Amino acid sequence: MADLRLMLPELILFAWAMMMLMYGVIRKNVGGNTMIYLAMLGVVITGFSIPMTGYGIAFGGTFFVDKVSVFFKMIFLGAAFFAAASSSSLLEKLKSDHGEYFTLILLSTVGMMFLISTNELITLYVALELTTIPLFVLAAYRKDSLQSSEAGLKYLILGAVSSAILLYGISMIYGLTGTTFINLAFGRLLEQSLGMLTLTQEVNMAFIIAMIMLIAGFGFKLALVPFHMWAPDVYEGAPTPVTSFLSVASKGAGVAAFARLFYSALPSFGEFYWGIMVGTLAAAAMIIGNITAVLQSNVKRMLAYSSIAHAGYLLIGFVSLPTTVNDTPFGPASIMFYMLAYLFANMGAFACAIAFEKNYGSYEIKDYQGLAKESPALALTFTIFLLSLAGIPPMVGFFAKYYIFLAGWPNYSWLVIVGILTSVISLYYYANIVKQMYFNRNETVLAKAHFDSPLVITLVLTVAGTILFGIFPESVIKFANNAFDAFPF
Amino acid sequence: MLEFAVITGVKAFMVLNVLLLTCAWTTYLERRFLARMQSRIGPNTAGYRGLLTPIADLIKLLFKEDFIPAAAHKPLYLLAPLMAFIPAMLPLAVIPFGSTINLFGREINLVVSDFNLGLLFILAMTSLGIYGIIMAGWSPNSKFSLLGGLRSSAQMISYEIGLGMSLIGVIMLAGTLNLVELVEQQSSILDWYIVKQPVGFVLYLICAFAETNRSPFDLPEAESELVGGYHTEYSSMRFGLFFVGEYANMVTVSAVATTVFLGGWQGPFLPPVLWFVIKCFAFLFFYIWVRGSLPRFRYDQLMKFGWFVLIPIALANILITALFVLL
Amino acid sequence: MELAIFLMASALSIAASILVIIQRNPIASVMYLLTSFVSQVILFIMLNAAFLAMLQIIVYAGAILVLFLFVIMLLNLRREDFGKDIKLKFKPLAIAFAVVLLFETTVAISSSAMLERAQAQLPPEFGSVQAVGMELFTKYLYPFELTSILLIVAVLGAVVMAKKRL
Repeated sequence: MADLRLMLPELILFAWAMMMLMYGVIRKNVGGNTMIYLAMLGVVITGFSIPMTGYGIAFGGTFFVDKVSVFFKMIFLGAAFFAAASSSSLLEKLKSDHGEYFTLILLSTVGMMFLISTNELITLYVALELTTIPLFVLAAYRKDSLQSSEAGLKYLILGAVSSAILLYGISMIYGLTGTTFINLAFGRLLEQSLGMLTLTQEVNMAFIIAMIMLIAGFGFKLALVPFHMWAPDVYEGAPTPVTSFLSVASKGAGVAAFARLFYSALPSFGEFYWGIMVGTLAAAAMIIGNITAVLQSNVKRMLAYSSIAHAGYLLIGFVSLPTTVNDTPFGPASIMFYMLAYLFANMGAFACAIAFEKNYGSYEIKDYQGLAKESPALALTFTIFLLSLAGIPPMVGFFAKYYIFLAGWPNYSWLVIVGILTSVISLYYYANIVKQMYFNRNETVLAKAHFDSPLVITLVLTVAGTILFGIFPESVIKFANNAFDAFPF
Repeated sequence: MLEFAVITGVKAFMVLNVLLLTCAWTTYLERRFLARMQSRIGPNTAGYRGLLTPIADLIKLLFKEDFIPAAAHKPLYLLAPLMAFIPAMLPLAVIPFGSTINLFGREINLVVSDFNLGLLFILAMTSLGIYGIIMAGWSPNSKFSLLGGLRSSAQMISYEIGLGMSLIGVIMLAGTLNLVELVEQQSSILDWYIVKQPVGFVLYLICAFAETNRSPFDLPEAESELVGGYHTEYSSMRFGLFFVGEYANMVTVSAVATTVFLGGWQGPFLPPVLWFVIKCFAFLFFYIWVRGSLPRFRYDQLMKFGWFVLIPIALANILITALFVLL
Repeated sequence: MELAIFLMASALSIAASILVIIQRNPIASVMYLLTSFVSQVILFIMLNAAFLAMLQIIVYAGAILVLFLFVIMLLNLRREDFGKDIKLKFKPLAIAFAVVLLFETTVAISSSAMLERAQAQLPPEFGSVQAVGMELFTKYLYPFELTSILLIVAVLGAVVMAKKRL
């Protein structure tokens, strides 16, 4: 029972998802935004149950709760909350309030919560599948749209391939060590190399292949640069709330699991190998992501490329995991803070895009001309999010980038320089939209924008988060730093 | 090593031959019995009371034209009868048809292979049987075959679940998958699993009928709608293989039922092998009896019955058995 | 003897797997996949994992591949639809990568750590139903239960995708 108590939030969310499914089956077309509010309520209840569980290990070490997992669970729940809340215009288009749509979002969130709470490779894999399979369906949810179906299919195929690669890497690690528990596995690797910090030649070879497989597998999941081809199409084709969920929650889950796996795997010999590899990937993601984003004319596509770039920034924090600033390991904490900033800014930006599309029926950047004049509120909120994504001071995004660069500087200063330079590029395309909204005149007069209430909740909360955490970042960063004292649990 | 190989080879050879002969004369029995049930006479010309009919049939099949449709996918078309036929024979390898006997001073187990996972092996072979039917349905490029193949594979997949689940109750009580041990556990009639698992037995019986595509579940070859089902396009001995395969399936299923539920070769007075044969033939007779008395299901009824009636009952049976074992 | 069986089974498995991907006819591909699975069953049995071998037949050969065939049959592809050999732009590159990977994996697997593990004495219970069951329901109980949620999701997803009107 004690084991199950630790798992309480996941169980609540799962039960809630099943309940929503049943409710959707029994009551056809409840109407209004009932389903949306139900989903939001479920997420909030789950969020409140998280502090009640405490920390600990359960099920023979396959499940555990530590501060890191608690933090990331909150992030995933936040993303699920905002994604559900911004779904009303999608539901209007589908002409029915689909219980199973929310069930899928919630179940994917459950998968992420399991993913971040495990130290065992089989569980990791199963949870990862649990995370992505609902997303395949969600990406293809608009069956009337060819683009959406294409997105679902592409995502499915890429997901399957990357899972296969990941599994192959996992099987190599199992073959080398004979255990699926990450913390044990790498202890045994060390034993085999006779306690020395360098591995024997043969073990080394197998280990590198396993690492490459794992990195490639996660690279696909995170849409890092050589593996990013699927991302823009999927992000553009999928329904926009799903895209926002994909870009924040699924990316966060991927980074978290990636970091968990490699940080636990971290005997100092490891760092040498994957540090360079992941660092290169990060640099490529930042450069390609940002430069390609400049060329985009569609907001969703632009945000897709920018999310590739953001994954690159996250990886700076990741390679600098062991870095200490004032004697505290700072890399992980910077990742956590970056995820928080990214959650508010990106979910908010997508919510703005949804609001704009709902009123003016377009995702093209050129159609944003003169928005400030007709609906200043929407223009202002969008500006806040874009500036936060670009990393402009009063917003939370600035501190996120600052902490990431701070963590990366001691060991990976070249990466930080790439990061700073690409940030400048990113400023160009983010500011371009701001310019369109404020300084370009539009001949055709835009109608006044209308918002539905769940979307307003999303916008208000994300703006509040973006600004408040920008002004008071200390408490979060303190929590994140403490969290990693006990990491890996 | 060599001795083992020779003994096993001889046993396998004998079992296969007996099986084939049984199949052949089961067709004769079936026609005679059916005729009786329908107040006809049945085949009575070839040999004494028609006893040589199967041989006549065989000769007829062998001399017919072996026809391959022009649009057929040839390799699969040729392979399909074998794929239907072989998995039907294999399960007999693990079925014990008697206790040990002494021959030339050696103890010989009357089972081809005393395999630890015998029951799973049988289920595995049953599941492979579908391929022959699917391939036979697809390869000739004919719509009747395709529909028949689709129907029968859907039917077999659905009822395979029930078949496996009906055996789980027995496995839980027995604690073994080895058929030799299973038979040894059923030494007295009260220990027979038909007594301990009556629901499981009935479920197995029904699913077995569906698995073997026999009446009242013989939709794949419903003549009135589908001509001949998946073997519409087959002629000559290739058709014969499907035919024998179907009867081999019947014999196998009967043998499994005998072994699992009816105490296998266990029985008083008569020699073990004879008991085994008697029980098997009782089953085969039951098959024929059912064919003579029940009409055919409609396809949707069949699927509904499988998924909404049989599988839930099987699950409930497993649950109750589990509780029973636990307490 | 054992070596000969091993070599035959693995050669068959590899050849069949290659044929799976170069065949244009999907039904033939599935049949080769079946061949590959069955030869893997032989390998499993040689590794003392008879239970796994049986499951491989029942689950993969008996259920999953049948569903593949089912779908392909329902699609009712004509021979023309199989198309010619696809022109892959990156085919040479892909082959080169495959060869490099094969080489690296060979070196890695022949590493001392893996070989030692391979030669280790197996416990007598190894591969039996009981042993697998004990592992599954004690040590790996939680991932095992997690897969049931995964299956719910998969079923739900399939229904959502397949149904025209929900």
